[in-house]
Amino acid sequence: MSLSLRLDDDELSSCVACGLCLPHCPTFRATGEEALSPRGRIDAMRAVQWRGAPADDQFVEFMETCVQCRGCEPACPSGVPFGRLMEGTRDALASAGRTTPWWQRRALAVLGHHRMLLAGSTALAVAQRLRLVPRRVGLARLPIRRGPPVRPSASGTETAWLFTGCVMDAWMRPTHRAAASLLAAVDVAVEVPGAGAACCGALHTHAGLTDPARALAERVIAAMPGDAPIVVDSAGCGAALQDYGHLLGTDEARVFAARVTDVHSFVATRLDRLPPPARRFGPVVVQDPCHLRHVQRDHLAVRAVLAHVADPVELPDDGLCCGAGGAYSALQPELAGRIRARKLDVIERVTSATGATTVASANPGCAMHLRAAGLDVRHPVDLVAEAMGWDTT
Amino acid sequence: MSTGPSSALFDDLRAVLDTDRVRTGATELGLYRKDASNMEGTTSVVCLPRTTDEVAGCVRAAVRHGVPFVARGSGTGLAGGAVPLDGAVVIVTSKMDRVLSVDRVARTAWVEPGVLNLDLSRQVAHLGLHFAPDPSSQQTCSIGGNVANNAGGPHCLAEGVTASHVLAVEVVLPDGTVTVLGGEDPEPPGYDLRGVFVGSEGMFGIATRICVRLVPDPPAIRTLLLDFLDVDDGARTVSDIIAAGMVPAAVEMMDQLCLEAVEGYIHAGLPVDAAVALLVEVVGLPHGVEADVERITRIARERGVRDIRIAADETERALLWKGRKSAFGAIARIKPNYYLHDTVVPRSRLPAVLAQVYEIAARHQLLVLNVFHAGDGNLHPLLVFDKREPGVMERVHAAGEEIVRASVAAGGVLSGEHGIGLEKRDLMGLMFGPVDLAAQAALRDAFDPAGMANPRKVLPSGSACGDLQAVPEGAWI
Repeated sequence: MSLSLRLDDDELSSCVACGLCLPHCPTFRATGEEALSPRGRIDAMRAVQWRGAPADDQFVEFMETCVQCRGCEPACPSGVPFGRLMEGTRDALASAGRTTPWWQRRALAVLGHHRMLLAGSTALAVAQRLRLVPRRVGLARLPIRRGPPVRPSASGTETAWLFTGCVMDAWMRPTHRAAASLLAAVDVAVEVPGAGAACCGALHTHAGLTDPARALAERVIAAMPGDAPIVVDSAGCGAALQDYGHLLGTDEARVFAARVTDVHSFVATRLDRLPPPARRFGPVVVQDPCHLRHVQRDHLAVRAVLAHVADPVELPDDGLCCGAGGAYSALQPELAGRIRARKLDVIERVTSATGATTVASANPGCAMHLRAAGLDVRHPVDLVAEAMGWDTT
Repeated sequence: MSTGPSSALFDDLRAVLDTDRVRTGATELGLYRKDASNMEGTTSVVCLPRTTDEVAGCVRAAVRHGVPFVARGSGTGLAGGAVPLDGAVVIVTSKMDRVLSVDRVARTAWVEPGVLNLDLSRQVAHLGLHFAPDPSSQQTCSIGGNVANNAGGPHCLAEGVTASHVLAVEVVLPDGTVTVLGGEDPEPPGYDLRGVFVGSEGMFGIATRICVRLVPDPPAIRTLLLDFLDVDDGARTVSDIIAAGMVPAAVEMMDQLCLEAVEGYIHAGLPVDAAVALLVEVVGLPHGVEADVERITRIARERGVRDIRIAADETERALLWKGRKSAFGAIARIKPNYYLHDTVVPRSRLPAVLAQVYEIAARHQLLVLNVFHAGDGNLHPLLVFDKREPGVMERVHAAGEEIVRASVAAGGVLSGEHGIGLEKRDLMGLMFGPVDLAAQAALRDAFDPAGMANPRKVLPSGSACGDLQAVPEGAWI
């Protein structure tokens, strides 16, 4: 069971074990257990890498239960690159066949084949209607009809790519159309990548499948040439695209990554071009996706954009994760549910104090996970589109 | 331990908790061998109780099998207080994290020990109240740990340390019985056993419910950052402020290396080229606060202050405090390891002792960073190093001991707020004679005659029964 994690020794030694990360870790918050905290997980990695401890089943469990929300990173005064350490550990575990069994690899492989994914998603949606998908799976209701794909628009004083990705295009395509309308409204011509940009590879990286993630990244880079900005309306995909420089280690990838920006951040600097909305929403609760707030660290722009059509309401929980975590809610349903329960509590406190009934979340995973608990969760650009009176169906 | 008694102990513990909350896997046990200090022990079992009865059951099971126990909160202690020695059963209170009741009229709350310090203040913020002790680790440390160590914090200068804010404690005594020490009334009759328990470092039992005082938020707050080009001028300013008859809510000092490390994290425009900066906070009624700001400004000018920055709003104030409170955690920006000290010296001796600290570190070729509660003379010199460098530990230990001896020689004490724990156990002789130590050992015996609660902490071997024990790895004496 001895295993080489191949982590960078300097990165691994940069934790001073002060524990300031603990309250920002969703699994520590849900359990109070050291093993399910960033400090504990780093100590366990050190035991394997430095002290020859076996990577036993417990070790695998402590690593697999991490949501990879990276809420610990902004909380860390020493700047420990926890995400990289966890991705490296997952890679070592997956390579050794300790995690990510064949059926997970097979499912993840589908994400890179967009037509197959769309067909599969439709089949799943039909199965849901036929009550063939047990409720305990916790999957929010999937759409059967998703309308036509986003088309390029030629007119505008500047041009940007709109990255559409895999699952989000299958499940939340109207949001892409809303994002495209929003870009057009701020006088930006939209380019849409071809089939090459089928998937950003974030879920593969999280699962420790680094090589497939690199292959997807190379296809994505090739699909969006030039130097136009790459606008992303899924926080998880945006974070993954921005990490291509590290993932591929090439100058080309670093240049590409620097072009990537979240749609809210992009639009926030062009809001003066947006006409007033046809109607306004009242208070709307802002739920920050972890990969927008903790990884991209670019979550404030959501408020600026949302404020155009609604009154953003903050959650007083320092951006603690909701438990969605890409595939996490499916792979660790019990913990994901406990983490979500905390989020539901804080949302409930805020909604009852403000009268808000809608939650805005800029990531498909968070939206689906919270919807499955019965909340009305909308993407901020969908709210903008509705308030502006655009048809995105 | 042999297999026989352990497995019987595990069975008994599983009867108290459920199987899932009794942990014996080697990988997990390893994580509980230490706290935030450099010292390590070993344990054979970790328990995760949720109620007082469960804690009492764990204690009784351990004692029945002749195995000692140690309580652990968030594991942020810096003196090894939660390090398990002699294979002690680790009883973790993190799952006991409920605020049980809040009395807004009496300004008290009953909380479980695993409630995090800052969480408590946040939960009562809408009532205009907060829990005053605010250790730098307040976002993570637990109230139970605060009670065990009689924790301090920047705002304890004016408000007093944890002992001033705990009215009553429900305790599982070292024999497994449950009692309440103190009471909600300000002056319960009889001996002040609550006062004895607060700061007893887990050696008199485990707190399972705590009645705390809550204090009202001040009507006005001003936070100033004063920077100096000379450490001495900064230190003398601290003495002058107090000598002028003021007791600010907090007077904190950060030296150049600390400012640099913290600025790398918070990007607040800290004066990284200053020799030292003082973070001073005054609270009270608006006019009084403005008058204090004026007086402090005048005093600082007389001592040659370079720049005075007054936080413009709550956001800027919060940022300055975030900088101060993340200082320890930011150390890895300089070197991956630190050894943090916690001594107290008379305020008037601050300039001299600080000079000594820098001299000692330089002589041992170590980097030292100072960030501390200057207002009450509570020094926190951090020796920063990379333990992968050969021979560095010896230099760190030697320098550390010299710093403690210099503080005590200047009329100071061993520890301000982190506790004695394992770290300073064998330095108790610098402060106390045999008679004092025997009195403390007698008190310990009154609570725990069998020595089952957090063994071999605080009291040096030989204080009572004379059993000599090896110092565990990592301790530096």
